Amino acid sequence: MQSTIRTRRATRFAVVFAVVLAAALPIAARAQPAGIDAQATRLLKASTDFLAAQKQFSVETRNTLEVVLVSGQKIQFDHSARMSLQRPNRLRAERIGDLVQQVLYYDGKTLTLFNPGEKYYAVVAAPGTLEEMLDMARTQLDIVAPASDLVYKNAYDILMTDVTQGFVVGKGVVEGVRCDHLAFRAPHVDWQIWIQEGKEPLPRKLVITTRDMQNAPQFSVVVTKWNLRPAFTASTFGFSPPSGAKKVDFVPLAKR
Amino acid sequence: MNFRKTIRALAVGASLPVLLLAGASPEAPLGLTLGREAAAIVGAPATPLSYAGAARRTTRRVVAVETTAATAAVATTAAATSAAAASAAQQQQAVAQQQAATAQQQAAVAQQQAAVAQQQAMAAGLPAIGTVVPALPAGCVAAPKGGVEYYRCGNAYYRAAFQGNNLVYVVAQP
Repeated sequence: MQSTIRTRRATRFAVVFAVVLAAALPIAARAQPAGIDAQATRLLKASTDFLAAQKQFSVETRNTLEVVLVSGQKIQFDHSARMSLQRPNRLRAERIGDLVQQVLYYDGKTLTLFNPGEKYYAVVAAPGTLEEMLDMARTQLDIVAPASDLVYKNAYDILMTDVTQGFVVGKGVVEGVRCDHLAFRAPHVDWQIWIQEGKEPLPRKLVITTRDMQNAPQFSVVVTKWNLRPAFTASTFGFSPPSGAKKVDFVPLAKR
Repeated sequence: MNFRKTIRALAVGASLPVLLLAGASPEAPLGLTLGREAAAIVGAPATPLSYAGAARRTTRRVVAVETTAATAAVATTAAATSAAAASAAQQQQAVAQQQAATAQQQAAVAQQQAAVAQQQAMAAGLPAIGTVVPALPAGCVAAPKGGVEYYRCGNAYYRAAFQGNNLVYVVAQP
């Protein structure tokens, strides 16, 4: 059923874009300027600023990763994710899916990765703020926390880096929520974001198309639930190994 | 399920040639544990935020390729320049370039030697210590030692580790 909806949606957008490309809709064509439309950036900035102002939240998402096989065939892998965040220095990110089962814990002092399936975990000392921790994880350990782009207070600058074009596609509905639909282009990638209308401009969907790769695979995230008033406890962010869990090391990045 | 198994089988069977042909890294965006499937994959898309990171990783690979190309270019330039060198300045430049080329050639030789050493170890039936694999070979048994979980696979020992978000196995010396 969902795949039917997705297919329909994809078809609808394909049709919309085809029509726009054919310049059969002069208004839509005019709304797609060569540069970056100020209305698009205003809507995006409102969303990232709103998120940066939230002291804590949790969010549940449905993610689809397309991969291209040697044959050229595209295969999709799904996983669902849940992220719990408390500024300035608490994070828990869980992913469960076809290819990954992993929980990331950050309690302001240590970063832990835990694979519940294999019962392996690794712990490393971490800096004192979310942003420093994410930087350290990415640069020193090559760890990417899911949806961590939402965490950075300068998310807008990160998203807009190298963007050359941007415009408002129009209104859309994601999971029953009315949204503004924006589209941007950067070297190598196109991306689209759907932002909730109204006083809480939360991102509801994100699609990234890798343009310069064969068959242009996409990564998409659909938010199924936002909670801006979550109830967290110490165990939300602190990891205590379950019985039978085995501690392992991180492979240092320098050895790679 | 059968299809996923097929992908895995395909991946295991075809991993090396595919990786060589595609120049693809088995690492996946967002740190997804693609594991064995990854090897059959030509490409996976950039992901949120990581597309900046992916660009950095791509840069790293591109840099490696460009260095090789630069070696050839420098060598060519050096030969052409030295042949046509009229001024002392140009000659000095050519010498510097030749030295750079020589240094790079030496680096290449060192890399080859390292590769040969690894091949010899492989020929002896033992993967080099520190070799990282996305999955254990067939027929491994748990062989814990000194509180560390090792797996014995023939004469080689492996231990689990995280490489980025991915769970991998590293050839170790217990």
